[in-house]
Amino acid sequence: MPNMTTPLSVNRSNSWGTELNEVLSGKRSEGSDRLSSQQQAPVPIVQHKNERAAFDEVFLPHMAEAYRLAQWLTGNACDAEDVVQEAALRAFRGIKSFGAVNARAWSLTIVRNTAYSWLVKNRSKAMVFTEDLSPAEQQELEHEGPHGTRIETPEEIALFKADAEDAEHALAKLPAQFREVIVLREINQLNYRDIAEITNVPIGTVMSRLSRGRQLLIALLGDRR
Amino acid sequence: MIASIKENDELQMNAYCDGELDPPSAVEFERRLADDESLKARYNRLLSLRRAVRSLPQYELPPCLKARIKSALDTDRPGQVGRPSQVSRLRQRSWSFQALAAAAVFGAVISSSVMMTMDRYDSREEVAQQIVAGHIRGLLAPQPFDIASSDRHTVKPWFTSHLPESPQVPDLAAHGFVLVGGRVDVVGHDPVATIVYKHAKHTVSLTTVPPRQSVSDQTIAGYNVRSWSDIEFTYIAVSDIPPEDLVSFEHAFSAASPVWRTLDSRD
Repeated sequence: MPNMTTPLSVNRSNSWGTELNEVLSGKRSEGSDRLSSQQQAPVPIVQHKNERAAFDEVFLPHMAEAYRLAQWLTGNACDAEDVVQEAALRAFRGIKSFGAVNARAWSLTIVRNTAYSWLVKNRSKAMVFTEDLSPAEQQELEHEGPHGTRIETPEEIALFKADAEDAEHALAKLPAQFREVIVLREINQLNYRDIAEITNVPIGTVMSRLSRGRQLLIALLGDRR
Repeated sequence: MIASIKENDELQMNAYCDGELDPPSAVEFERRLADDESLKARYNRLLSLRRAVRSLPQYELPPCLKARIKSALDTDRPGQVGRPSQVSRLRQRSWSFQALAAAAVFGAVISSSVMMTMDRYDSREEVAQQIVAGHIRGLLAPQPFDIASSDRHTVKPWFTSHLPESPQVPDLAAHGFVLVGGRVDVVGHDPVATIVYKHAKHTVSLTTVPPRQSVSDQTIAGYNVRSWSDIEFTYIAVSDIPPEDLVSFEHAFSAASPVWRTLDSRD
């Protein structure tokens, strides 16, 4: 394969690939540095523009997605509307801080953070945040579990046929930190880099949460049969 | 020890499933997948989970919410509403000067926007020229792609590792367009992804550039050019197949690479 590396891909993609490999090969511990998207220096583009025009350009195109994310994070339509509206105001007031790197990730980050602060304010006991758990508990939640330490035999691994209702219930039941990565990946279809940016955790944590969240979903859906 | 191997397997399987492995690792994983029944069963289960999650109802943005947000923003500017101040009275007096100035500015804006439109038109046609040149270069080279694979799970990660934005890579064999690989073309100074398909003996290059850059359908140097856009990319297809076949190619591609419409049909 010819080496097609370009200056652009050196900056963004290759270092990203290296990082992924380091995570996979265990060279890098999961909690280590944030991902390389920080290497891109933010370029303020909005300062010469009318703030409203900047808002329309940056946040508005992602509103449908924002609503979808908010609905999954809060669990119902009314709350999602409030969250999106509040996030829109926050985005508008903070539009000058938008760094012109990734409008979609920037907008969804605000929505995600707004959703959590909204939930803390309005529904104190409904959520379990990883931050509330001790490091040991967190470790256990993310890495251990019903299928965590055992290798299943092929016969045990049945394909399940879940209908939409089952899947919806199971996803709603997942702890927030797993649900959000799965929603961002499968519903919003973001890549690992963007998910790490939005959820503000290292790439390795995104990977283990996705993997663990999917195992939990499989277990939940399996139990329903 | 077993647990940690298993753990790493899981991560790798998930990364493969998400199209996030680099090509060598993806190829290696595919090899293991072919040999390891247990891994294969787990992978299939992961795919069926993905199908289930992606078939969930897509919550639609309530139309009134957008309007509500816009009006909320309009009132979110303390100091800018109400209160006819001295400034505004002064402003009224100098209305005729303003009108004059506005007319001058208006004239300047109109003429510059006409020129910009012409520039943009020229630069788009330039884009089409460059993309056709990339297609011709591909045909002259020993093979028209940098990465050869009929497996979209290989082509997509290869793009992902070489480009900041990479398109979906559907296999359209069922529609007569067989995926043969991908290459990186350069348009202007930017590397862009080109997916290569074969239609009978003809090569179809599908180049993806940032959205809103559609070029007109045309024939350049004997090659037919057809372009369309979705919210992520503008797609420019180049081939020596007849224009109507390019139209069916567009339909097949759009149907197979849904952006938001039918999230459940992909796995």
